[in-house]
Parts: sequence; C-alpha cells; structure tokens
Amino acid sequence: MTKYSLYGKMVLYALLRRRSRMVVALLAVAIGATVLSGLVTLYYDVPRQMGREFRSYGANLLLLPDGDNQVMPEQAVQLAAGSLPQGKVIGMAPYLYDRVLINSQPIMAAGTDFAAVKKVSPYWQITGQWPAPGSGGAVVGAEVAELLRLKPGQTVTITVPGAEQEKKLPVAGIVHTGGSEEDFIFVELPLLQQWLGKPGLVSVAQVSVQAGEGELTAWMQQTAGTGGGITPRLVKQLTQSEGLVLGKLQALVYLVTLIVLLLTLICVATTMMAVVTERRKEIGLKKALGAENRSIVLEFLGEGMVLGGLGGLLGTGCGFYFAQVVSLQVFARPISFQPLIALAAFGAAVAVAGLACLIPVRMATGVEPATVLRGE
Amino acid sequence: MFWRMLQGALVRQRRRMFMMALTIALGVSLTTAMLNVMLDVGDKVNRELKTYGANIMVTPRAASVVKDLYGVEAAGGGNQYLQEADVGKIKTIFWAHNIVTFAPSLAAEAVTPDGQPVTVVGTWFEHYLPLPTGETAVTGIKALKPWWQVEGNWVDDADGQAAMVGSLLAGKLGLRPGDTLAVRLGDGRQPGRFRVAGLFDSGGAEDMQVFIPLKTVQQALHLEGKVGKVEVSALTTPENELARRAAQNPQNLSVAEWETWYCTAYVSAIAYQIEEVVGGARAKPVRQVAESEGAILQKIQLLMLLITVLSLAGSALGISNLLTASIMERSKEIGLLKALGATDGAVALLVLAETLAAGTAGGIAGYFAGLGFAQIIGWSVFGAAVAAKGMVIPLVMVLVALVTLAGSLPAMRMLLVLRPAEVLHGR
Amino acid sequence: MNILELQGITMDYGTVKALDDVRMTVKQGEWLAIMGPSGSGKTTLLNIIGCMDKPSGGAVILDGVDLSTLSSKGLTAIRREKIGLVFQQFHLIPYLTALENVMVAQYYHSMPDEEEALAALARVGLKDRARHLPSQLSGGEQQRVCIARALINYPALILADEPTGNLDEANQNLVLEIFQTLHREGHTIVTVTHDPEVAARAERCIVLGHGRIAGEQRMCKPAPEGRPADNKEEQCQCG
Repeated sequence: MTKYSLYGKMVLYALLRRRSRMVVALLAVAIGATVLSGLVTLYYDVPRQMGREFRSYGANLLLLPDGDNQVMPEQAVQLAAGSLPQGKVIGMAPYLYDRVLINSQPIMAAGTDFAAVKKVSPYWQITGQWPAPGSGGAVVGAEVAELLRLKPGQTVTITVPGAEQEKKLPVAGIVHTGGSEEDFIFVELPLLQQWLGKPGLVSVAQVSVQAGEGELTAWMQQTAGTGGGITPRLVKQLTQSEGLVLGKLQALVYLVTLIVLLLTLICVATTMMAVVTERRKEIGLKKALGAENRSIVLEFLGEGMVLGGLGGLLGTGCGFYFAQVVSLQVFARPISFQPLIALAAFGAAVAVAGLACLIPVRMATGVEPATVLRGE
Repeated sequence: MFWRMLQGALVRQRRRMFMMALTIALGVSLTTAMLNVMLDVGDKVNRELKTYGANIMVTPRAASVVKDLYGVEAAGGGNQYLQEADVGKIKTIFWAHNIVTFAPSLAAEAVTPDGQPVTVVGTWFEHYLPLPTGETAVTGIKALKPWWQVEGNWVDDADGQAAMVGSLLAGKLGLRPGDTLAVRLGDGRQPGRFRVAGLFDSGGAEDMQVFIPLKTVQQALHLEGKVGKVEVSALTTPENELARRAAQNPQNLSVAEWETWYCTAYVSAIAYQIEEVVGGARAKPVRQVAESEGAILQKIQLLMLLITVLSLAGSALGISNLLTASIMERSKEIGLLKALGATDGAVALLVLAETLAAGTAGGIAGYFAGLGFAQIIGWSVFGAAVAAKGMVIPLVMVLVALVTLAGSLPAMRMLLVLRPAEVLHGR
Repeated sequence: MNILELQGITMDYGTVKALDDVRMTVKQGEWLAIMGPSGSGKTTLLNIIGCMDKPSGGAVILDGVDLSTLSSKGLTAIRREKIGLVFQQFHLIPYLTALENVMVAQYYHSMPDEEEALAALARVGLKDRARHLPSQLSGGEQQRVCIARALINYPALILADEPTGNLDEANQNLVLEIFQTLHREGHTIVTVTHDPEVAARAERCIVLGHGRIAGEQRMCKPAPEGRPADNKEEQCQCG
C-alpha cells in the first residue's frame, strides 16, 4: 500500500465515519457557496433584467427627418434601426402625423403600427381593445373621445383635408396615457399613408432599445452622416434617468452582496473552526506518534478541500437554482448559466473551507501534545 | 447551583461562548441590515425614480381640450386657468407627505423681433412655499426636473428679467449664457428684454422653449394669480386591480373599497385628492411614468425580499450549524453531568440557558452592527440614511429565538439520548 | 548499554517545581516502573522522556542523542523513530479501524505496510478485530491496539503511561502479559503507574515523591495485601 492511499483513506474516513460533524461542516460550506453563487449571479443579471423593465417607460430613441423635412422614407428608418445592436431593440413604432377633420373639428391623426406600439409603449391603457391587424380599426385618445363623445364599437367619420371624401372607421379602443397621446386619433399606418398620398413615408419613429445612454450616444456618433435623411435623438429624460437609477440599483445589489457574502463567509469559517477545534486531541495524538506539523496540516487541508469541493458543488447548484427562482419570480425570465461564476463560487468554497480548517489546525499544532493528551 | 454552573460556563468557557455570540451577532446583523434595507428600499428607489419627472398633471377642467405642440388651435371652451393661490393646497391633501414636489406653469406664445414664434413658459424655479402647517415646501422645476443639464445658472424666481433657454432654441438663435434675449410677450408693444441666465438640455419638447419666472408671464398676459397647469411628482404605491377599477370611476367602488383606495397612495387616489382641494382642476396620472414606476418598484421590492429571505435562511442555518457543532463538542461534559444524576430536563435547561445568554449578547451587538451596515448601504447607494424601522427589533428577536431554539434541537436530542458511559469511556 | 540517561532533570511550572534534580539511567532491554502518588511528577517525567515536553534544566540522552540540543522538529523526529507510546486513555483515532490506527504510525514513520500492521495486531491477539472501529472494541482491546501501534516501528523505548489504569483485572493481566513477552524479547520498557501490582511485574522500580527520586528497588515482589510499606525512604512502595 502506498503512502498516498493511506492518506486518502484517512481523509475519506475522517469525513465518512464522523458523519454528523461532517454534515454540519458540509452544510456550512454549502450555505456559503449557495449565497455566493446565487448573489453573484443575480448581481450580474439584475442590471440586464432591470434594463428591460425600464423599457416600460417607452421609447428612448427617436428617429426624425433631417433638417426641415416633415417626413422621411420608411426604408431609411428600417435601415437605421437595423444598424442598432441586434437583439437589444425591444420595438420600433413608426408614426405619420397629419391633421384630419372629425365632425368638422380639426384633430391630429397618427398612422402607426399597433403591434409595435404595444411593445414600445406598454403604458398605454386601452378601454375597449386593440384593433385587430388589418381590420382598419382606430384607437382614439381619451380627450378626443370625450370631446366627440366616442365609445368603443362606434364608428368615426374622418375627413382628410384635400381629399374631400369621408372615411368611416370603427373605434376599437380609447387610450389613456395622461400625455399628449390623448389628443390624437390613431389609425393603421398604410391607411393614413394612402389617404394622404404619402406612401412609404413617416414623420417620426419611436425606438425602444435596451441600452444605456453611453451605448446609444456611441451608436449615434457612429451613424452620424450616414443616416440617409434621418437624425436620431435621445429621449434624454429616459436615458439619463435610467442610467442613474440602474447605477444605484447595481450599487445596492453590489453592496448587499458584499455584506451578505462577508458575513456568510465568517459564519462558515467559525463553524469550520468549531468542528476542527473539537479535534485538538487527535492532533495532539498524531503529534505524539511523531507526525510532523506539515503532515497534519496536509491531512486537515485535504479534508477541508474535499468538504469545500462537495459543499461548493452542492452550493453552486443551489445558488444557481435560487437565482433562477428569483429571476423567474421577479422578472419572469430565466437567466443563463454563467460557468465563470459557478467556477469562482466553487473555487471560493474550496479556498474558504481549506483556510477555515487551517487556522485552528495551525493553532493546535503549536500546542505541545502532552498538554492536549494529558488527563481528561 | 444552576446559576453557578451557568456562570461558570459563561465566564470560564469564554472562547466558546464568544464564538457562539459572534456567529449569532453576525446572523443578527445580517438580518437587521437586510430587513431595514428591504423595508426602506421602496421609498428610496421611489425617490430615485422621481428623476423621470412628474407623474400627475393638474390642468383646468374646462381647458381639457385639444391643444398640443403640433399647433392645433383650441377646439372649444374659453381659456380657463387654475388659481395660483390654490397650488399650495396640493401639500395639504391626505397624502401630502408623498408629494415630493410640484411646479405650476403658464405658457404664452411670443415672437422674437425677427418674427420667429417661441413658446415662453412662466414657472417657479426654486420656490419656497410656506404651508398652512407652518412648514416650508421646496417646489419648482429645479426639483421637478433633475435630469435637465444646465449650462450657466438656474434662474432666481425674484429676478423677473432672467430666463433659461432650451438648447435647441438657443442653437437656432445663437444664444449663450449672459446674452440678452428680446421677445414680445402677449399684447405688449415693446419687446421684453431678458438676460439668459442659463441654457438647458432636457431631451424633450422643452428644448424649443424659454422659461422665465411665473410673475413676469402673468403680468404680461394680465393673468395675475393664474396658472395654466401644475406638474406634480408624488411617491406612489404600485397600482393593483382595485386602483385600476377606481381609475375608471371611483363612484363604482363599495364604501369599504373606497376607503382602502382613498387611504392608499395609489397615483389615482392622489390625483383624486388633488382634484378635491384645487378648485376647477382635473388631475391626471401620467401613465408613462406612473405605470413604469409601479412595475419597477414592485420588481425591486420583490428582488430585495428574495435576497433577504436567502440571507435570512443562510444566517439561520449558519447559527444552528454552529450551535450543533459547539454542543457536540461538549458531549463529554454533558455525559459527566448525566452520570452525576442530572435529568435530561436539567441538562437541556442548562445548555439552553447558556445558548440564550450568548444569543442575547450576540443579538444586541449584532443589531447595532446591522444598523451600521444598513447605514453604509443607505449612504453609499442613495446618499441618505436608511430609516431604522422599529418593527425590525421584535422581528429579529423572534427570529433569533426561533433559530437558536431550532438550531439547538438536533444537537440537544443527540445529547439526551447520549449514554454517559459511552462518552466518558471515549467509545 | 544505556538507552536512556537523565542527568539532573528539573522542571519548573512557575514557582512550582514538578521535578527536582532527577537522575537515572535505563539499560537496553530493561523494564523500569516509575511509581509515585498523584502530583509526584510521574507524568511530567514521562512527557520529558517521550519528547513531548522539554525540561527546564538538565539533560536527557536517548539512544546516544542529547535531546536538549534538538529543536521541536528534531524532537518530533526522535519521537517517531525511537519511541512507542501507550496511553492510559488509549487515544485511538475514532474514525479509523484498528488496523488503520496501527498503519497511521507507520505512515508517519515511513511507509504503511498492511501485512506488517496485521502481524502486529496478531501479536496482541487482535487479528480478528483488525477491521473494527475503536468504538466497537472493548477497553482492553483498544489498549492492545495501542500497544501494537507502539510496537510497529521497532522503537528503542516503549513508554507506557498507566497502561492498565482504565482496564478491569482480566484485561490488565492480558496487557501485562503482552508487556512481559515484549520484555522477554528484549524490548526496553518504561511504565508509569501507581498500581503496585503493575510495578511488581517490572524489573526495577523507581519511586517519585514531590519531584524527587524517593526510592529505588530491584525486582520488587508483591507483598501480602493490607500490610503497609513501613520504610518509604528505603523500600520500594511496591511492597
């Protein structure tokens, strides 16, 4: 039998045959690793997830026609939107504005894509329902509806100036936003384009992008001049506030993570120390049998590492599960597994368990065996 | 004798007791810090979200007509206004404490000497408003619109000749801070001359406007004591089903529901209360801000709650773990006590009393350490103290007692089934 | 040839003198018993001989090496190479089997050898119990594992501290017989005891009192029970 196999046996049996103690220590390490991997995963994921939440504020980027032009071609808008980082665009809603007459009253009409509006402006409160695609239904702003006494299901008669011809549209819903949208009537974009004789043209496009102010500014600088008749503008109120609030949130999670981690690690270390301190007599005996301090330290280190490894594995799994539960509960979206974080949490668990073993062992090996073994 | 043994254990096994107290202190400080932060985070984040601006818009009831930045003329009704004297009443509603700030404004069309139309808005910049309660409220757009990037200075409300110009307009007119801007306001023959105190970049429609003190616009339009609208920024509770139903029509609620709704800081309830105090006003929640705020607040609170639960579970397990370890360590001593004829109850009582003594000491130390941690978080993240909620104390006490008891249970059971002979003979 | 030579050993614990100028020698193959009442310095002396403690004064020469010149690391090496320890409390590692406990001593000494360890257990009559944990062994069996462990590295000196203190009479006899066999085979043994019956088995007996050597006698013979020793200064208390 080689030296190493007895070493392995000693480490293994110290763990297996002292089950209740080792379960305690293992649990401690696993708790530490759970907290570590769970919180760090969240720390990395929260800004990303929260960034998405902030998009409920609506568009943070506007695409406007160059110079004094009132309209721009739709293709150019699509092109510009296409150059934004893919996968980060939540939605892009084109709008074409012009004045129409309803009951001889001048009202602003906006042609848009309702499916896109739902994505870009999730805060629209609709009484009634969204018009079905291609149905030709209209959404009326609350102020306009009150003025004209319109209700969902009724028909609204629209006269387009120039083309002295009446159009009848069903009112699908009334929109409440508390903002200027309440003063508009919204119809489907192709319909308005056709009425106005402005095929393929839009006045403005609202884009909701999951990106910070810096990222968007960089994109604007990069595409400056190549816009094809388009000027992008940031909705500063949104981008800046988002940066501010997200920064604070990240700092909050960061600090909380730090403090929780610190306390948990101390907790783990004290438990490990309590478990090892209990074995002072065994250390004394081994010394009396002629073991060098180095071999004793190595044995305990081995135990600590095995414990750390097991606990780390268990905890990393639990931590990821916890982060997953939180993400699903809070953001209703799963998180991706971060191998680097898992590895770091595992490594930290092994290191902490090893270190927490070493401190009391070093203290115990400093003691003369006679003092430990005497009496009792 | 029980007390002497207890005393002996506490004093002479100082190291072990210290270890136990330390772990409990750590757990308690974690619990205290997390609970305090969690209970306060909603309020703090809510304040941060105020950077998104007003979430309630107060306009004259009769002026709820189509009139927007696209230049559609007023389609009906006379020009009605709110009374400036009523504006302060917003701070007297049931949820007055939740009103962060507000700013009245009165817009006027003006023309530059070379014939360009501009919109001039009279408002409060930084106005100290005395309240009926004797306190003073800071109001005005400086507090309301913190995202404005200002080049130069904010306008002093008392300086009727100062103006702030939006960045786009300033670019068009070639204005710099310190320049003079001449515009003809209302029916005045002579253009008013304003000193440009600062330029601002708001990223919104305001960038094409000029902001001057409210008094000046009122005088020019002969509308003394009148304002066009008031923007209000309020701390609100995320909306739920009840709030949504109330928003449709508060009269449809039952009395009990109405009470609940009225006494909760829903944005619709606050808007309703503003309508009650400000004569002839219509207060509308700005959905874009109010809804998003609610969503984000809810997420953050839930997130903090879950993190708190994790750290609580962690510290509970940590404490019970250490207790188990330290009680197991004492099996020999307990075996001896039993050999001397101690009953199981007596042994359990002794161990529990020691644990509780260590727990109390650790708990008190941990509570204050936890308050410290909470303040560190509060100051470094939000730049403000985290309120120490009184309800945390009993909560922590109950938790510690439960965890300590639960933590000692498995170890205690082990000790009680222990046969003295086995322990003492080291088998 | 002297295996062990103590030259004027003193041991101070603060103001208390645990040992005061103790001089003695142990020859190769000798069985020496050290006797004395509690507090007479027996255990202190054993710890010094066993390289687990350093004296305040005097020299210990073990197998030709002056221990006082050694560092604690050197003492550890000596303990490993030259000394086999048997304790009153047995002190077995609870999570290792009897066999593994013996092998641990080999492990620290040089190389674990299972067959040799089994043979050592067979010598103390525990071949069948080799795979049991200490908690599954009786006190006597545990002590015999301890002896097997002490023997395994062929130590120059076997030190036993009250080896039968925790054993019943049957087990005590068993253990003492093993020591007798070892003695006959030429092992050098030092036992510390307060039990006259144990000391009586030894070749020579030294009595300690208040940290000094109070008496010495060769080949003590057990005396009839109930008769107190009358001359403590001259006669071994084994009587």
